[in-house]
Amino acid sequence: MGASTSRRNFLGLVGLGAATMASGGALAGCSKEPGAKGGATNAQQAAGVLPQFKESTLVQPDVKGVRPMADGYVKYPTSLADAITEKAAPSGKPITASTPWWGPAPPTANKLVEAVNADMGATVNFTIQDGNTYGDKLNAMLGARDVPDLTCIPGWEIAKLARFSEAVPALFEDLGPYLTGDKVNAYPMLAGLDTAAWQDSVWGGKLMGVPFPVDAPYPSVLFYRKDVADERGIAAPTTLDELYEFGKKFTNPAKGEWAFGDIWLEVQQICGAGGSENGWIKQADGKVVHRHELPEYKQAIEFMARLYAEKLIHPDLASSEGGDVTTLFKGGKIFMYATGGGSWKETWKPAVAVNPKFNMQGVKVFGAEKGKNPVRWRTRPGVMWTFLKKGQGAERVQELLRVLNYTAAPFGTKEWELQNFGVEGTHFKRDSSGAPATNDLWTKEFANQYIFLGGRPPVVVGGPDIPTYAADFVNWGNDAAQYLETNPWDGIKVEVPSSQAAIEQPTADKVTDILRGRAPVSSYDKVLSDWRAGGGDAARDFYAKVLADNGR
Amino acid sequence: MSAPPIAPVEKRPKVKKNVKAVPRQQLSFGQRLRRDWPLLLMCLPAMMLLLVFHYVPALGNIIAFQDYNPFVGDDPLEAFLYSEWIGFGNFEYLFKNPAFWDSVLTTLSITAFQLVFYFPIPILLAILLNSIMSPKIRSLVQAVVYLPHFFSWVLVVSLFQMMLGGAGLLAQTVRQAGYTPPEIMTNPDTFIFLVTSEAIWKDAGWGMIVFLAALAAIDPALYEASAADGAGRWRRMWHITLPGLRSVIILLLILRLGDALNVGFEQFVLQREMVGRDAAEVLDTYVYYQGIAVQQWGVGAAAGLFKAVIGILLIVGANKLAHRFGEQGIYSKS
Repeated sequence: MGASTSRRNFLGLVGLGAATMASGGALAGCSKEPGAKGGATNAQQAAGVLPQFKESTLVQPDVKGVRPMADGYVKYPTSLADAITEKAAPSGKPITASTPWWGPAPPTANKLVEAVNADMGATVNFTIQDGNTYGDKLNAMLGARDVPDLTCIPGWEIAKLARFSEAVPALFEDLGPYLTGDKVNAYPMLAGLDTAAWQDSVWGGKLMGVPFPVDAPYPSVLFYRKDVADERGIAAPTTLDELYEFGKKFTNPAKGEWAFGDIWLEVQQICGAGGSENGWIKQADGKVVHRHELPEYKQAIEFMARLYAEKLIHPDLASSEGGDVTTLFKGGKIFMYATGGGSWKETWKPAVAVNPKFNMQGVKVFGAEKGKNPVRWRTRPGVMWTFLKKGQGAERVQELLRVLNYTAAPFGTKEWELQNFGVEGTHFKRDSSGAPATNDLWTKEFANQYIFLGGRPPVVVGGPDIPTYAADFVNWGNDAAQYLETNPWDGIKVEVPSSQAAIEQPTADKVTDILRGRAPVSSYDKVLSDWRAGGGDAARDFYAKVLADNGR
Repeated sequence: MSAPPIAPVEKRPKVKKNVKAVPRQQLSFGQRLRRDWPLLLMCLPAMMLLLVFHYVPALGNIIAFQDYNPFVGDDPLEAFLYSEWIGFGNFEYLFKNPAFWDSVLTTLSITAFQLVFYFPIPILLAILLNSIMSPKIRSLVQAVVYLPHFFSWVLVVSLFQMMLGGAGLLAQTVRQAGYTPPEIMTNPDTFIFLVTSEAIWKDAGWGMIVFLAALAAIDPALYEASAADGAGRWRRMWHITLPGLRSVIILLLILRLGDALNVGFEQFVLQREMVGRDAAEVLDTYVYYQGIAVQQWGVGAAAGLFKAVIGILLIVGANKLAHRFGEQGIYSKS
């Protein structure tokens, strides 16, 4: 009976809503625009709360990286240090954690996780989410204010999380009281993380997260199958025309082979369209422009649309963003694609177990034509952050920080080996040089769980199965560094108003329409003017003001 | 074996009279409670379910009139209390946005299309299946056509992709024969056919269940009598089967109308990239991309409320129409 009454009331309310909505025009006068208004945290605020740096490197590198490119290690150290002996979480209370992973989800009953938990002295229970859709999950999780003890949030997702700077103080613990200055000495491994990355972990003047320092400052690498290219006598491209030729030579639909996966990120950089800060650039004359407005960007659109039109991109990938690009690449169905440098090892290592000849290389960075320089977007010093759930008391925070201290153990420690390779005999065997060679169980159970969880001094380490990887990556990165863009907003956390954030998806959709041939390239001018009017110009003023406010 | 004697005929009306002698209004609340408590108890779990999962969340609709910010205050409840009231700002934002109306139009055209090309399929299937005599074949066919309902949309879409996609079975076969394969999965112009085919493949079998039950309720004697009078197969279908199904068909039609702005979410979000926003942006995906994904919760709630209001108006309207034609509809005033 009660329910039926409330149902009637509810219907009444809805009816009222409908009636007022019909007269919406009359009421509109007293309504306001919805959405977050945006904000920025400046760089100077950050300085006072940073932890004091204390070098934690144990092993001298074989290939030195040009900073911010990490160092590479070809040889595996023969003796490992046992860096941490204390129990991380004496309370024994389980710790919940959320991390992304770009691959099949590992099993819940996981020997690798069990072993690390046992050594660490804490029970960390992971919820591992698909990395491609992690941002969607985060939006819902944050919006519901329902976060685990440790939440790993990648920097590129933060750009899509509106009101994030409001979410941080509401949901996460201020780490300043535990880590600022020499307080960090209680967590020596965290003291070994790069200061620039810590500086990037400040929200609203407070130290809010533990950073995962970048190992290579590039959002993408253009990968190709060097083994197949060599076999067919085809060289890696050095101009846009050669890239097109590469596509022509490798595409053979009758055999189920297409040259490319998605290479849009790379084509933009090859053409020279900069904009590391969410697409924004400060030009030499002081004018703030967006990548969308550059002629180089239009050139990139034209080129990419041509690749789609001539069907040089695998149809599964042309039709869905989430297509399984690594499977196609490993299976020899595509030969070139662009993605983050982190997947170099993640893709190569399991592939070489199936096909020993498999050789995945980054194409040496090149410009649209000879003599014209490309641009390399620069990622932030922190790739991702782990945040601690707010309001759990000092003792719990210290436990959680000890967990992150453990996960930050550097290369050359037993802890590092355990988190990266698992247990000797169960997950890997040592080859004659003492380097771990992983097995199938490792491939199944390893999902970078602990590595994503806590920052670690970044290193590039291969393995006996991929002996050239470390040198390949560091040399590629060192060479690319010459084209690295400087970001004038560096060290400032900029958060765009949500009305401007909302214009990005429709614009990206329209650009996709052009790339896939659903709309002519000539329609781009209209897309651009819509973007400007729909929030682009407002965003320009916003970004320019942030620079002015910081005296840059 | 003799049947137990039934009550003497003359006694039965008396019992009826006894019931009528105590009119319902004269029972006090306490008496009724004592009489009905087992029934009420049985209803309780369902009521609780409705309350907790439908009515309490419905209160959240107030954020349609707020610039809802989940991060103000110390907990989600305070976030409701402290978020700024902006009147009809969210609705204004929606109604001024041409992309919103595009998505409404796309949704309605898909509904209209599916009403014509999808809605009759389960009915036809049920009639067809009902005419199969062998119970073995019948249950086999039934099981086969039900099964896809239990597949997730991810599975259905990837299955279609593997069969009909650009690198799928069909395309590769056509290519090997030396022809250019048609673009089935990526053509925005034919997208409406594609989603309808997928929906039919997945759910037509499941939708058939209700009609099969209605068919079973038709008295076989009617068929026998009409057959004896010389009615053929088509006559029997026209004059017995379809009238027998009519009330169920109308009931489902009304419910479908109420769902006019609901064509599903997953199926479209999964295939959005393939055909672009213009063809695949339905109201639900619009809410997702312009409301939830950019934390404009208020805008999302406003769109949801808009959808609910339209749905209720359509249901009430369709029901009225059904009454006018002498049908029972989904409910009637007693």
